[in-house]
Amino acid sequence: MIETLVLWLLLLISAASFVAQVGKRVRLIAAAQNNFSLDQPAFRIGRFLTDVVFQRKTIVERPLAGVAHALVFWGFVAFAGYTATEFLSGLGLADFTRRGWFHAYRLALAPFAVAVLAGIVYLVIRRAVFRPVALGATLSVGSVVIGLFIATLMATFLLDFRLEEGTLAARVNWWVHALVILAFLMLIPASKHLHLVLSPITVFLKSPVLATVPNLDFEKEEVGLETIKDLRSKQVLDAFTCVECGRCQVNCPAWGSDKALNPKTLILQAQHALLEGRRDAKLAEVFDEGVLWQCTTCGACENQCPVGIEHLPLIIGARRGLVSNGEAAEYLGVVYNHLERRGNIWGLGYDQRQKFVESAGLEIFDRAKHEWLVWLGCAGAFEADFQKGLRSLFDILRASGARFGVLAKERCTGDAAKRTGNEYMFQELATQNIEDLKAAGVKKILTSCPHCLKTLGDDYRRFGFDAEVAHSAVLVAELTRRMPAVTGAREAVTFHDPCYLGRYAGKDAEPRELLIRFGADVKEPERNRTNPFCCGAGGGLLFEEKEKGTRISDVRFKQLRATGAGTVVTACPFCSIMLKGAQASAQAETEFVDLMTFVNGRLQRP
Amino acid sequence: MMILVIAEQLDGRLNRASWEAVAAAQQAGGSVKVAVLGAEAAGAASELAAADVAEVLIVDHPALARYTADGYAHAIAGLISAEQPALVFLAHTYQTRDFAPTLAVGLDRALLTDCIGFKAHGEGRAFVRSMFQGKLCADVVPKGPAPHVVTFQIGAFRADAVTRGSVPAPARAVAVTIDAGAIRQKPEAPFKEAKQAVDLSQAARIVAVGRGIKGPEHLAVAEKLAAALGAEMAASRPICDAGWLPMDRQVGSSGQTVAPKLYVALGISGAIQHLVGMKGSNTIVAINKDSDAPIFEVADYGVVGDLFEIVPAFIDALNG
Repeated sequence: MIETLVLWLLLLISAASFVAQVGKRVRLIAAAQNNFSLDQPAFRIGRFLTDVVFQRKTIVERPLAGVAHALVFWGFVAFAGYTATEFLSGLGLADFTRRGWFHAYRLALAPFAVAVLAGIVYLVIRRAVFRPVALGATLSVGSVVIGLFIATLMATFLLDFRLEEGTLAARVNWWVHALVILAFLMLIPASKHLHLVLSPITVFLKSPVLATVPNLDFEKEEVGLETIKDLRSKQVLDAFTCVECGRCQVNCPAWGSDKALNPKTLILQAQHALLEGRRDAKLAEVFDEGVLWQCTTCGACENQCPVGIEHLPLIIGARRGLVSNGEAAEYLGVVYNHLERRGNIWGLGYDQRQKFVESAGLEIFDRAKHEWLVWLGCAGAFEADFQKGLRSLFDILRASGARFGVLAKERCTGDAAKRTGNEYMFQELATQNIEDLKAAGVKKILTSCPHCLKTLGDDYRRFGFDAEVAHSAVLVAELTRRMPAVTGAREAVTFHDPCYLGRYAGKDAEPRELLIRFGADVKEPERNRTNPFCCGAGGGLLFEEKEKGTRISDVRFKQLRATGAGTVVTACPFCSIMLKGAQASAQAETEFVDLMTFVNGRLQRP
Repeated sequence: MMILVIAEQLDGRLNRASWEAVAAAQQAGGSVKVAVLGAEAAGAASELAAADVAEVLIVDHPALARYTADGYAHAIAGLISAEQPALVFLAHTYQTRDFAPTLAVGLDRALLTDCIGFKAHGEGRAFVRSMFQGKLCADVVPKGPAPHVVTFQIGAFRADAVTRGSVPAPARAVAVTIDAGAIRQKPEAPFKEAKQAVDLSQAARIVAVGRGIKGPEHLAVAEKLAAALGAEMAASRPICDAGWLPMDRQVGSSGQTVAPKLYVALGISGAIQHLVGMKGSNTIVAINKDSDAPIFEVADYGVVGDLFEIVPAFIDALNG
């Protein structure tokens, strides 16, 4: 009787503490402008199954720790009914503990308990002894305590099989188990273990498309995120969901090149500001100085996050807030000038594009005659090396009989403006380009620039533009499937996946298919396919050559060089510019070749 | 008709652009007087006396010891009422931008800024202003009583077009009264930004080296060419990254933007970040081993070959 009363009392204290702490966070989420979206429910359910139930994101990058985590997670789920039944009995509400099914359930849980114990012991040792850099410089004592709690829960559960019912030892064991659960309940909300509660929701609410940054509505005088109170509901939820695993950190090219930006720190700083009620704190001051301009928008943080956090809407949103207050990074001023006056990122005259169009023998797009509109982009208009790659693409298209043309006039798609938070300029460029594309009756667009691919194929959707947009690697892989390659020795090459192709568009198979079909022996670099290491150009950083720390391009070039391949194949003009710069600075003799030129040179012609 | 030119000096050194304003006044015809203001105006005045002008006026007053917009506007207003010019010409410097509106409003006279020339218009003149990023030129005729205040874009007139006098122009001190209490600005001690050691944007000729130079020991070849041409040395990013030349000699999007009369690119492939920094050059000469190098897309003259053979031949030809 006394025991029942004590348990009631302790449960009420524990539950009150839990509710109070979670309630504070829920109120903060509810106070934020709602941007939760449930579009594409089938996709969301599928992702919930793979990433939450089957723990794909947790396991893929860190198999050992991931499996250990999965064991603990599945064990927790399996134990839910057991814990509920024991508490119902302890509270004197209903006693099922003597039923046959409960005995069977308990027996079935034994292997789970062993698995959880094994998993949690590994995780505690990893955290306390091996101290991976992703988990931070200081040891999180709270996490170790929680780990030991979980171990205690499993140990007491297993010990119960060995103790005779009704003995003092069995009661003590039961109480230890119950007290740990109650203490656990109090510790969860204020710690990273809140992810137990929130991450299934956050994963479900995460946008199906990487780096979803909706247009600003200027009619409603939206200017982007300026202060903590401007954060949207999903961003507040994100801040409380962070499990501090540091996958974002170790995959971030800025962090990997000794810059101040650490995506994990960014999320935690937002969390602290929210909890401290600093509603009017400026985001640029909440975060460390300058970090908002160190992001290449490569998307690694958001893509690798196992709990559904979206970093890019936060970073780009905060950039918008700065740009609308005239506080853009200094190196962007000249770029914005170029975009405004000349419509391209380099501020060059479009007579150069015209010269290229003429010398490459291109036809102006005519919907009656052409299937594909080839979008040249800024690099196609002005960058001589990229133009070589495009000439190769035109050769391949002609050899395969594809009918294509180009627009008489293009502007920059607005990628640099969008990613750096200059939404007004982006929308100006986008609406003008869309007008031209629609007037020309374009239905299918081909581009060799992954940034144009993302902008035309995703960002332009929000203006109701729905043409099919393909990267040249994808179309050429299809067009050349029945075209023979010249025979010869295989050439060792390495392929640098562009972030906006491999990660954003998920097109990592097609470039490799082409390379292998056309005689390459592909030496994979560290960080490849859908999780490449950025070249350093994205997010407007192409124009910031005075990087803090080491140059991202130098770090990536080293990784590519370590493959031992003498040739780097690229599929993005910006990657090519950055990596060639790194190659020149390293005084290396590495060759660079555009994927289209590689294919074109090995295409057998009749 | 008399035109009064307001010259600009700092620490007794004449601003080069002031010569352009003098040239504009000489070309406009009539007599020209040049005034220079400030405690150390005498040095600049003796320099200005070389020009073929009627008089050099020196305006000094304790309130002009340090530049202020109000101080200058008051002093020049006093000068104008004493001299009665038909036009007041100034170079469109930062200082002019600061005080000229105050001056014009104080006098209630027309102000035309950033003009690039003038032409005859009836009895008087129309002044040409460039509009819409240089796409259009507007002929603007100032109205209202004289004097009209006109400022000229830097570079619109040539400083070396000033006609020099056979004897130095007479200098005269003009006393003005300035009510120190009416000066609203309280200037701090002048602050000088850490000066870039090399200002390549002012260089008429540049010899730039790229990776093709191979090693710092070969820089001497390029330096000899630069000496023979009277050119400044510059470099592309890898050269400055490697520390072979200091960072302030880097040309390109992260370095300086240059537009010399002659740009000689030695062993520079012409990455776009470099091209955007030097495309404005009048004449581009490129020497590179790789005939595919993008630099040849912008070069007026290109030599495909080994710079270590070609540059010495250039030097011989220049010195020969």
